[in-house]
Amino acid sequence: MSADRSPLYFALRRFADNRAAVLSGVVLAVIIVMAIIAPLITPTGYADQAYLTDGLAFPSQAHWFGVDDLGRDFFTRIVFGARVSLSIGFAAALCSLIIGIPLGAIAGYYGGAADWVVMRLIELFSVVPPLLAAMLLGALTRGGFVTIVVIASLFGWVQVCLLVRAQVKALREKEFVRAAQALGASPGYIIRRHLIPNAISPIIVGFVLAIPLAMMLEASLSFLGIGVPPPTPSWGQMINVGMNFMYFYWHLAVFPTAALAITVLATTLFGDGLRDALDPTLKGR
Amino acid sequence: MIRYILGRLLSIGLTFTTVSVIVFLMMHAVPGGPFDGAEMPVSDAVKAKLNASLGLDKPLYVQYFKYMWGVLHFDFGVPFQSPGETVLQLLARAWPPSLILGGAGVLIGAPLGILLGIAAALHRNTWIDYVVSAIATLGMTIPVFVISMLLILVFAVWLNWFPAGGWEKPGSWVLPITAYAAIPMATYARFTRSSMLEVMTKPFVTVLRAKGLSERRIIFQHVLRNASLPMVTVFLPMFIGTATGSIFVEAMFRVPGLGAYFVSSITLRDYPLEMALILMITMMFCLAYLISDIVYAFLNPRIRFGGKP
Repeated sequence: MSADRSPLYFALRRFADNRAAVLSGVVLAVIIVMAIIAPLITPTGYADQAYLTDGLAFPSQAHWFGVDDLGRDFFTRIVFGARVSLSIGFAAALCSLIIGIPLGAIAGYYGGAADWVVMRLIELFSVVPPLLAAMLLGALTRGGFVTIVVIASLFGWVQVCLLVRAQVKALREKEFVRAAQALGASPGYIIRRHLIPNAISPIIVGFVLAIPLAMMLEASLSFLGIGVPPPTPSWGQMINVGMNFMYFYWHLAVFPTAALAITVLATTLFGDGLRDALDPTLKGR
Repeated sequence: MIRYILGRLLSIGLTFTTVSVIVFLMMHAVPGGPFDGAEMPVSDAVKAKLNASLGLDKPLYVQYFKYMWGVLHFDFGVPFQSPGETVLQLLARAWPPSLILGGAGVLIGAPLGILLGIAAALHRNTWIDYVVSAIATLGMTIPVFVISMLLILVFAVWLNWFPAGGWEKPGSWVLPITAYAAIPMATYARFTRSSMLEVMTKPFVTVLRAKGLSERRIIFQHVLRNASLPMVTVFLPMFIGTATGSIFVEAMFRVPGLGAYFVSSITLRDYPLEMALILMITMMFCLAYLISDIVYAFLNPRIRFGGKP
């Protein structure tokens, strides 16, 4: 056994053996690249009504996904929709970490009253349906990008917090933590330098699995008309519009539906694979 | 046991009260009032009079306590958007379709999911396992309105087997219930599979095998019984989830249920209905968690005899 076979090496090996996860990683990478270089691969801007005379045209050589009811190239709209979906997913997952990690670490490390307060807070968020709270918050702040990120992270941190809490609780009694305490390290230092680095795998998993949840929330809200306001393209919004034309112009409904399903599925499978690779004891859970 | 239940009751009561205060404040913080609609503009004086007649001119805490006092007596007020009836009458009218939809969805989806989960766990790493896992992941990750959309496209538009919407004929119930059943089915399939696999690695199963028990008896008498414990606890909360999850299914299939009122009560600033809907769902979630905690405690001797969960 050579020296470079670190835990990371075995995690990568396990990940590479998981064909579904690797494939979804590739799909996800393609979607992310497409979202980043969107202006280069699309013929027009996402709000340009450049093809008004071809309105509702079916997919063709010139318009891969057809033209929508307002004369916009539909492929452009779908690709730019990936930008909205992905950026909301990543931003919300990041905010979930920012809220979830400290709360989870504090609850797990101190236990007792701190744990009780955090658990009641989690209970608070588990009895309110996220969708209703989102609709109320959306009405309060008039929707938009930031609101959706806030709502998604308000409900996304719970999962991260529980994962971190469980890990910290398990590590709290370990010898290296005891040793650090004996050497006079402050709780804040122990949490920052010892506990959180050791909880990095659940944190990564929590991050990746928070992304599809946020993307689904965005799509749901936009579908209900209280998400990202038009003309910014959002898949949920496009599905809602496409529904009205479904009987005659199937492409307006099918492409955003497929885009949303594929992206969410790829992210989830990627996250599942990552979890199995980083922590084999949790496999399939 | 009694201590445990009392503790849970207290904490859930606290949660419920906190939610009611937050929701009430948020609801009133939304700009605009019930009489600011553009389609029927009224003068400021009339608006003030209307607001006064509904008690909306009083300080917020007075309104809150007045409303909650009514709630304690099962008086949820009169919905502004349909003043001819009380909130309770409106619920009695609009809830049955949602209940049928959600109930049938869970009652069909959950057993199906459990069966799929058992099949996947017993045939681990075979094509059965892969197919079930694929179905479960798809069902959990694809938003329900996307599933509805696909069902409508395939079975209503292309094959023309079922109507695409409505609620009048039983034939039109098929697609929405199918769409709805996908969520509990996927959740249960995944859950059953993982919790069975977990139990099957326990030492006691090895002991049962070593003493020569037949595989069938090991699975059905021992593994399933132990694996069902966590499954019991997710059932009720998921059942309650039907109340809000059906918003999309109802919107997609034009079912005249409760779903539309969730949206309209917020956009129309219909405070009594809004508050009633959110409070009821929160209450049901609280009760569901309470009951499943108690059932869990009852089934789990470690808690029944005074230990920690």
